[in-house]
Amino acid sequence: MGRTLPSATQNLHSQEGSLSRFRRALRRRDQLVLDDLFDAAYKHIAAVAYAANLMPFESYLLCMLLEEHKAVMRLQNEVAELKDRHD
Amino acid sequence: MIEFEGWLLDLFEDRDDGLVLYAMARDGGRHRLTTAFPVTFYALGKNTALRSLWKYLRKAYPFVRLSRTSRMDVFVRDEAPVLAITVPKPSDLYRVFHEVENRYPSLDYADVDVSISLRFAAATGAYPLARCHFEVDEAGLLLHVRPLESPWKIDMEPLPFTSMYIAPNVNPHHKKPHYIRAVIHPRVYRLGLSDWSSTLITLRRVIHRFDPDLIITRWGDTWLLPLLMEKSEELDIDLGLNREVGRQPKILEARTYFSYGQIIHRGQQVHLFGRLHIDRRNAVSWGDYDLEGAIETCRVTALPLQTSARVSPGTGISSIEILTALRSGVLVPYQKQQAEILKPVDTLYSADQGGMVYQPLIGLHHNVAMIDFTSMYPAILVNKNISPETILPLGKGGSPVPNLGFAIDNRVEGLIPRALRPLLEKRIEIKRRLLILDKWADETEGYARRASSLKWLLVVCFGYLGYRNAKFGQIEAHQAITAYSREALLLSKEIAEDMGYEVIHMYVDGLWVRHPDRTTPEDIFPLIDEIERRTELPIALDGIYKWVVFVGSRNNKNRPVANRYFGVFQSGEIKVRGIDARRHDCASYVREAQLRIIKMLAKSDDPAETLPGAVDYLKRHIRALQRGEIDLESLIVRQRLSRELDAYRSPPPAARAAMQLAEAGKVISPGQKVAFIHTLGKPGVVAWDLPGQPDPRTVDVARYKSLLLRAAGIVLESWGLDEDQLRRLMVTNLRQLRLPHWQLKPINQHQTQ
Repeated sequence: MGRTLPSATQNLHSQEGSLSRFRRALRRRDQLVLDDLFDAAYKHIAAVAYAANLMPFESYLLCMLLEEHKAVMRLQNEVAELKDRHD
Repeated sequence: MIEFEGWLLDLFEDRDDGLVLYAMARDGGRHRLTTAFPVTFYALGKNTALRSLWKYLRKAYPFVRLSRTSRMDVFVRDEAPVLAITVPKPSDLYRVFHEVENRYPSLDYADVDVSISLRFAAATGAYPLARCHFEVDEAGLLLHVRPLESPWKIDMEPLPFTSMYIAPNVNPHHKKPHYIRAVIHPRVYRLGLSDWSSTLITLRRVIHRFDPDLIITRWGDTWLLPLLMEKSEELDIDLGLNREVGRQPKILEARTYFSYGQIIHRGQQVHLFGRLHIDRRNAVSWGDYDLEGAIETCRVTALPLQTSARVSPGTGISSIEILTALRSGVLVPYQKQQAEILKPVDTLYSADQGGMVYQPLIGLHHNVAMIDFTSMYPAILVNKNISPETILPLGKGGSPVPNLGFAIDNRVEGLIPRALRPLLEKRIEIKRRLLILDKWADETEGYARRASSLKWLLVVCFGYLGYRNAKFGQIEAHQAITAYSREALLLSKEIAEDMGYEVIHMYVDGLWVRHPDRTTPEDIFPLIDEIERRTELPIALDGIYKWVVFVGSRNNKNRPVANRYFGVFQSGEIKVRGIDARRHDCASYVREAQLRIIKMLAKSDDPAETLPGAVDYLKRHIRALQRGEIDLESLIVRQRLSRELDAYRSPPPAARAAMQLAEAGKVISPGQKVAFIHTLGKPGVVAWDLPGQPDPRTVDVARYKSLLLRAAGIVLESWGLDEDQLRRLMVTNLRQLRLPHWQLKPINQHQTQ
């Protein structure tokens, strides 16, 4: 309604759609991982929209990295805790 | 000369008398008054063209008064030289204007398509349903009128309406009615529909005897009044529906339009003259705010009650703005020639956004405080002085709008803030009174209805600034409001995080925040005070949730969506948004079950303990469906038709139901809702409004069961029972379900292996 540009959500949908050929050629288990990466982008649409970057795909990659790094940090903490307990 | 005090009931143009007014005098008398009421429109443009227009009008319409003057043009931000063209009677305006516009298409015009009631309110201060002092001569010619109350006053005397209620016994679009009921308190008439002449004679007697000011109907616009008019002409019995003699009621055609991403259908309307007719089924948001709300809208918008009860809030807001413009000598553009300011593409990217919508953290959260800005967009609009004429390009002074390439001029209050400030203040004052009033006090219901009608006006006032056909819409004003709103929300997020809160969700004007130790309203107030201080916008605590669940998207539950949640406040009040229970297209069979399960969870201190009970209930509910014990009515699904029937390639259920209706001769337009039941076999639906009842044995039980389990799964998932598990549990032995929640898990694992 009344917008000149597609919203961030619409944009993400179309970016995801534009990768459908890429996705199709992946193995099933890799397809699911790719979907998971996109879930990470969906979590931060508000930030992508606010950033208003002309190349939003960069922002989506950053969202994926961010969630990846969160997972890494969480796992690092858990490993450290387990080590502490073990020692 | 006669003087009296009374209320302005109705006013309309008249070819002979100019303007006709109906007044309800305090002493009970009803008066028809007239006044010539000359009206003015303006032409703007090149001096030579205006001079030529002057000469033409002098010759062609000698009765027209002409003068050169200047009026404020908000889009130029300056006074513009104009030719003022005054016609002696309102009904002359369009005749003269169309001729002028055809001959001088290069000129711009203003103050043309302005409702007569707005012109009258601007000239005299007397708005529809205002209490006024009237001075009249012996022939009913209005000499002077003066309003005794401002429309912004909170408490007004009740209107001395004599009202009549007429409705058929059933929905005529569904079934054939047998009689109509007419009620004038305390009398009730039951009028059969087989002998029309006796029905019409009785009705005529009732109308003549009680002379109602207000006729409230159900389906009066779309069925009853047109039928009564047709029969009265056929049998030559004049009902006297109008008070005004010699006029037929005015029928406005139905129309379908696109608004806020939805196709809307507005039914045909029947307007009376000298009396007011409201069709409860065709009035905007009648369910929310009833007659009190309709009267409130009428008074603040200065549109006659018959109009204001039926128009969209957008038209209402537009009227308030036009009225303010007329009063302050600002031109009301006829066809606006207004383009967006040129912006670099990255600014356009920043500007072309709506409110800040966060993706919530999916799942169950405890002790979450919900705080929201009070009427955020109108408050920004008024406090930041946003109006077409206050927008300045960067470098011309004013205070810059965050991240956008323009600024706001704060030296004078703009037209739009000036128009909306009293509306906003009135709503805030009514809301304040509601807060301190006892829930059961006499005034509470009326205040709540009026607050609700004002809320609708305020909700749309922002959107109207961006709407290209709005008289005073301007895209930059629209963009500035959302830019300020995003700024306020992000600032609030930062303040909350600085104070140790976690932000669970943010949505346009509200935040859901959680703090490990701050769980009472008193704990939250410092946060609220700080946000209010730094954003300069009013914000309030909506409540603290005992728990709240944010639900993922319908298609992929790992993907968060805004505004899909349910939860229970510490007070015990339940709030549900976006899930089936709140969706209009959900059968009440499903809706009630979902709500009931939420209630079960909400009542318990440990919701997990209620799971076996919830499963039990679902089993019983499904069994009742299988045994045919569920009313067909609670299986009705209502969906809006989004396009013409022949435009569907693979028609969804609603379209298939509409096709059945079309075959039976009932036409459904896009925007209208279709009611249907899911049935077995092809075409899979039966339209509810087909003649005769559908056979209960054909109900598609599996479909309803699946809809039910999906709705229940959404709610129970956070406690470990999702749709798939529920589906399996529905076929396992009931007795096993007495197990506590943690033992349910192994069953699931076992079955998925």
